[in-house]
Amino acid sequence: MGIDISLTPEQQKIQQAAREFTAKYVIPNAGKYDRAGEFPEFLGPEAVKAGIYPPAVPKEYGGPGLDLLSQAIIAEEIGYGCGSFANILCGNMMSAKLVLLAGTEEQKKLYTKPLVEGGYAGFALTEPGSGSDAGSISTQARPDGDEYVLNGSKCFASFCGYATNIVVFASTSPGKGVKGLSAFIVEMEREGMTVASVEHKLGIRSSNSVELVLKNVRVPKDHLIGSEGEGFKYAMKALDTGRAAVGYVAVGVAQRALDEAVKYCKEYIDVNGQPLSAHQSIAFRLADMAIQVEAARQLARRVVRLQESGAPYTTESCMAKTFATDTAMRVCAESVTLLGPYGYSQDGVVEKLMRDIKIFQIFEGSNQIQRLVISRNLLAR
Amino acid sequence: MSFQLNEIQELIQQNTRDFAKEYIEPIAGQTDKENSFPQKVVEQLAGNDYFGLFLPEEFGGSEAGYLSFVLAVEEMAKVSAGVAAILINQSALAGYALNKWGTPDQKKSYLSSLITGEKLGAFALAEPGAAPGAGPNKLTAVKDGGDYILNGRKSYVANGGQADFYLVFGVTDEEDPSRRMSSFIIETQTPGFSVTRTIGKMGQRACPWAELSFENVRVTAGQLLGNEGEGSIIAQEAKAVANVAEGALVIGVAQAGMEEAANYAKQRIQFGQPIANFPAIRNMLAEMSTNIHLARLAVYDAANMIEQGKNIFTEAAMIKLFVSRIGQNSLIDAVQVHGGYGFSEDMVVSRYYRDVKGSLLIDGSADLPESFIAADLLD
Ligand SMILES: Cc1cc2nc3c(=O)[nH]c(=O)nc-3n(C[C@H](O)[C@H](O)[C@H](O)COP(=O)(O)OP(=O)(O)OC[C@H]3O[C@@H](n4cnc5c(N)ncnc54)[C@H](O)[C@@H]3O)c2cc1C
Ligand SMILES: Cc1cc2nc3c(=O)[nH]c(=O)nc-3n(C[C@H](O)[C@H](O)[C@H](O)COP(=O)(O)OP(=O)(O)OC[C@H]3O[C@@H](n4cnc5c(N)ncnc54)[C@H](O)[C@@H]3O)c2cc1C
Repeated sequence: MGIDISLTPEQQKIQQAAREFTAKYVIPNAGKYDRAGEFPEFLGPEAVKAGIYPPAVPKEYGGPGLDLLSQAIIAEEIGYGCGSFANILCGNMMSAKLVLLAGTEEQKKLYTKPLVEGGYAGFALTEPGSGSDAGSISTQARPDGDEYVLNGSKCFASFCGYATNIVVFASTSPGKGVKGLSAFIVEMEREGMTVASVEHKLGIRSSNSVELVLKNVRVPKDHLIGSEGEGFKYAMKALDTGRAAVGYVAVGVAQRALDEAVKYCKEYIDVNGQPLSAHQSIAFRLADMAIQVEAARQLARRVVRLQESGAPYTTESCMAKTFATDTAMRVCAESVTLLGPYGYSQDGVVEKLMRDIKIFQIFEGSNQIQRLVISRNLLAR
Repeated sequence: MSFQLNEIQELIQQNTRDFAKEYIEPIAGQTDKENSFPQKVVEQLAGNDYFGLFLPEEFGGSEAGYLSFVLAVEEMAKVSAGVAAILINQSALAGYALNKWGTPDQKKSYLSSLITGEKLGAFALAEPGAAPGAGPNKLTAVKDGGDYILNGRKSYVANGGQADFYLVFGVTDEEDPSRRMSSFIIETQTPGFSVTRTIGKMGQRACPWAELSFENVRVTAGQLLGNEGEGSIIAQEAKAVANVAEGALVIGVAQAGMEEAANYAKQRIQFGQPIANFPAIRNMLAEMSTNIHLARLAVYDAANMIEQGKNIFTEAAMIKLFVSRIGQNSLIDAVQVHGGYGFSEDMVVSRYYRDVKGSLLIDGSADLPESFIAADLLD
């Protein structure tokens, strides 16, 4: 696919830059880091140099200051190269988005500084007993003089083995469910913060996921974001824009699966001397994949237009996340099918796509939770 | 399910369940992680007469029928798809072909030792498939006096690297499309034969895949399996028969994945209740259960047909089309039920997700299963 000429010249430049970055740093490294299960630390600094990281941070804080569509395009382009690397560079924006939405000027500066230098952040909501049900979080934050003291444990905390600052969700009013949750900025180097274990995963293996233990971690009161009890509200706001990014990455991964299938089916010559793609049954399967990928891309980009117009977009971002990730799951599996034994082997890339894509249906709100939100909004109309 | 299994079949099913628990389960995770060949389990498979389950008593087999074999494959696959794949390649591909097309001499030396486990066999049909212009069946077998000289490569050969002999398919007549290929029994010590490398893969890692190279490999006509020009027929029939067993493998993995998901759903509490209470979870499990049930009936029925000596090309294609899909979709959902935990390598369901996709692959032809099924209906 060429550069999208329906974009503004500025956006085309970003697409070009992201594509070059992907060709130079993502595609050649993705397989190696996947097999080793290693975090590609070099990624952030190189992406800063390329002018595409940290995508969500405005110019006034030293970021690239990109419009929403440019951010979506970056997620898609890097996702094309590797879903895991895209998660590291784009999924990593979730907590920064929250701080930028609800933080004070000082908090915004504190939080974005390591990012604009090529570092990483983290978003620690999930706990062993609390996944979809965020209201059951048991990590607690207790005020003590001009500090809060945090105790608890978090799991599946992405990038936290490499992050400078993270946003931690803890209850300040136990028993009040999500209405008792507050969001805190916590420096990873604070005393009492421990990375207890690193998760070994089916896919996005280069994207660091850790279990965090917080033991009497003291943060100054000015590390509370917004007001006590408002943490979940901010998380949902950040997720509204953040979950669409999951959709953009998934579209990139799906596009890759499609392109790999197209390439293979054109090159592989069957017993009768014809390429696979000369057969209607194969060609139509490719067409179906292409229809799905494009529909997912457009649904995801609609979220950007709604956001820019100031219209509500929660339902649409849930739709985009669900449709794009369900589509990408199907398209990646279909690509493995079409590539046969080569597709299943680690000589090629599509088996990795199929391993990587599964989590996109689960994290940032499982696709069941998305349907819950969509149907509620639908029925409340 | 009311599909009537006879006493022997039920016994084999139960014994295999116990066998898998005792011998395969302890090494299943490790062979996957380390890409290691489960040599000891292969010896135990032989010692417990699995390799000859449906093969003739004359050569050491049990003649328990193909349905019994399929039941054994299914039970093993619930624990390790890789081990089940070793068994399929040994018995349903190499064993079946030798038994049907081998000369008495060939059966005596290869089929017997395959059944005792002295020798591991493999089926080398596919060729490297990634480069531009790649395609199937390029390996040539040129007649030279009474011998044949083989040149070319084979790839994605299951049991590859571990096998003692390979059934290799080569082109003996470029001109005649229906009689193009012939099949040869190639022993690993034959000069010019080499295992180039093993190939990493998504799952089923207990069963290694290798790439083979043939450089002026000279074999006598005594190594020809079946007649010259019969290669395509042998390949097609043996693969159809093996497809039925692969269907059983996929069902075994899907069943195990579904059971993991059901157990997890009963234990996992969110929103103050087991997630098994949520219709979204119940519906995923109901869909899996329905699909697996229907797929199992199709597989058992085709196995019965094989026992009765019927042609199963259409049924094998239906299995390829339907069972591969339901297997894949069952595991996509089984992981989903586990939420983020399903993505952890510590959860066996993440291995099943990788394993299930490795069977019933379309191997490098435009012959999608649909075309066989439609041809049966229309042509
Ligand atoms: C979201 C997305 C991301 C993609 N990312 C990549 C990727 O990272 N690497 C990749 O190989 N393919 C990528 N592709 C696929 C790529 O766009 C084309 O399939 C492939 O490059 C052939 O393009 P083309 O010849 O049809 O036309 P065009 O894309 O218009 O390109 C014409 C030629 O210029 C080259 N070219 C285009 N842009 C650049 C650039 N920025 N730097 C250097 N050369 C360039 C192309 O490779 C091609 O040879 C991506 C596709 C999509 C949709
Ligand atoms: C690689 C990876 C990275 C992650 N990164 C982060 C991160 O950086 N920060 C963070 O905080 N979290 C992170 N997570 C956690 C992720 O967001 C959770 O896994 C996800 O929210 C689901 O929670 P759970 O795993 O506890 O599943 P559960 O909530 O236990 O769900 C299990 C199943 O039940 C379904 N379900 C649950 N409730 C309902 C309901 N009411 N109705 C119908 N179905 C329901 C779910 O859809 C799912 O299918 C990550 C997870 C992974 C695997």
